[in-house]
Order: sequence, then structure tokens, then C-alpha cells
Amino acid sequence: MSNPSDALGRLMAHALARAVALLILWLVLAGSDLADLPAGIVAVLAATVTSLRLLPVGPSRLSPVLLGPLALRFLYQSVAAGIDVAWRALDPRLPLRPGFVVYSVCFPLGSARNAFAALTSLLPGTVPAGDEGSRLVYHCLDVDQPVVSQLAAEEAALRHAIRHD
Amino acid sequence: MIEFMTTVLGFILAMLALGLVRILRGPADADRMMAAQLIGTGGIAALLLLGTVTAVPATVDVALTLALLATFASIAFVKKGRANAPDSTGDA
Amino acid sequence: MSVAVDIITIVAITAGAFFFLAGTVGLLRFPDTLTRLHALTKADNLGLGLVVLGLVPQAGSLRGGLKLLCVWALALLAGAMVSQLIAREASGQRGDPAMRHDGPPP
Repeated sequence: MSNPSDALGRLMAHALARAVALLILWLVLAGSDLADLPAGIVAVLAATVTSLRLLPVGPSRLSPVLLGPLALRFLYQSVAAGIDVAWRALDPRLPLRPGFVVYSVCFPLGSARNAFAALTSLLPGTVPAGDEGSRLVYHCLDVDQPVVSQLAAEEAALRHAIRHD
Repeated sequence: MIEFMTTVLGFILAMLALGLVRILRGPADADRMMAAQLIGTGGIAALLLLGTVTAVPATVDVALTLALLATFASIAFVKKGRANAPDSTGDA
Repeated sequence: MSVAVDIITIVAITAGAFFFLAGTVGLLRFPDTLTRLHALTKADNLGLGLVVLGLVPQAGSLRGGLKLLCVWALALLAGAMVSQLIAREASGQRGDPAMRHDGPPP
């Protein structure tokens, strides 16, 4: 792993994978007209360089195989979240018990923690509203819900999908 | 199908307009910013429906641009809020 | 076949419109900034997702359908980021939030 040529090879492999993904995105957005392709290639190169600069290749990443189930899980959660907030909004009694819940998160500061915060912002009744050291502060629509155990389940699911190289 | 989509388009625009009452009521700047977020999501839905109803594919590009602009507007709002944090007013 | 597709479109778009209604009602009825943020981000993102789901079969081409899904994915990603930023901003403005401290999960 510490061999410099290995590291360069890994960087190139990541760069190529990102460039291919961005090219596919560009083709979907702009169409596959051959005359437009030079502009697309310039855009893809610029975007790849920017992405490597702003989001460097780290020691761990999401496993592509486990990404599908994770995406489905959070899609399901975001549907549940929409239904939850809709019935609270439309119920004449307005059933809310808003408050803050502090959750100790195991992910260190960085992209894993950011991914966790972004994914849990889709959960029913919770929005990350701040950090306190190693803990995330969540604002909840209903503090009587089992928020902490639900967050723990999501954290386990995300940790399961992260692969360490 | 065209009539149905046009009706829903009108309904979503009405919901969007109703949500803008939040700009008048406030009370915090964040509440007013959320009305702008509503223009983001509701506006995208309305534009996508409009693009299908009128068969103008470029409307989807307008919707993409609106999604980007609404995001940048909110990020600019939060940055501005941090810059003058000491004299910003809390909500009631 | 096309009747079945049209029924999917009508059901999905009607459900989407319902969640836009719920989002607006929540934005107007909920008592404070942070609860209103829940109403806005969660209900409207689902509403947009359902409208996109209904429009994809009407897109006429694979690329058209994928492009609609890209718009939704961008809106969902932006919503996940922006809702956290607004929540941090709004909770920072409160002098002394009534915190409920929970221990680590069992």
C-alpha cells in the first residue's frame, strides 16, 4: 500500500472512474450529439480535476455493491418521512412534540460523518442541527419517537456499506 | 392527460403562492428563506409538468438551473447569517 | 399498455400534488422555524419525487427519463444539504435550546 507507484495507480483508477461517471452524467444532461462532444470532454476533465481536488481519494469509500441496498433503504425512509410530516401537518390537533436529541456518532469528522448527517436528514422527524464535538445534535418533530435507536440502526447500515482499502 | 397535468400544474403553483405567505409572517429570516426553498422544489415540479404539457424539452434545463440557483441562494443566506451572527435577531 | 402507464402517471402525480399541499400547510401551521423546516424539506422532496416518477413514463425516451431523475437527484441532494445548513443557522439563533441529552445507544 505504501509503494508510491501503487498509490499513483490507485489515484489514476479513481480519476478514471469519476471521469466515466461524469461523462455519463454529461451525456444524459446534454445529449449525445457528436458535434457537442468536445465541449463535454472539456467539462468532464474540469469536473474530474475539481472533484479530486475538493473530495480527495480517501482510505475508505462506499462499496458499489452495497450502495444499491443503502440507496433503497434511504429512499424508503424519505417516503416514510414525507408521510409522517404530512399527517402531522394535516391533523387538526397538530401532533408535535418538538425538541433536540443529542446522538453520539462513531464516524470521525470528515466525509463519512457528512454522509451520515446528509442521509439522516432524510429520516422521518429528524434534521441534524449542529455538532457538539463527537456528537450530533438533531432537531426532532416528536421526541417521544425512538430517535436514538433509529439513528443507531442507520449508522450500522452506513458503516456496513463503507469499504476500507 | 394534458388537461390533468395542466390542472396539477395550477394546483402546485397555488400551493407555492400560498406558501409565500410565510415571507410576510416571518418572523425569522430563516422562515423567509424557506419560502425561497419552496419556490425551488415547487418551481422545479411546475416546470417539469409544464415541459411535458407544452412538449418543450428545454424546460427541463430551466428546472435544473432553478435547482442549482435555489441551492446557492440558501447557502449564501447561511454564510451571510454567520458573517453577522452577533446582531442577528432570534425568532419569537 | 398505455392506459396502465397513464394510470401510474395520474396516481403518482396526484400523490405528488398532495405532498405539496401538506408541505405548504405545514409551512404555514407549524409553530416554529425548525418544525417548519421539517414540513418543507420532507414533504416537498417527496412531492417532487412523485411528480418526477409520474412524468418519467411520459418522457418518450430513455435519456429524457434519466434526465428527469437527475433533476430529482440534484434536488434531493440539495435539500439534504440545505436543510442541515438552515437548521444549524436557526438553532444557533436560539439563546438556550431545551436540550434532551440521551446516552449512547444500548
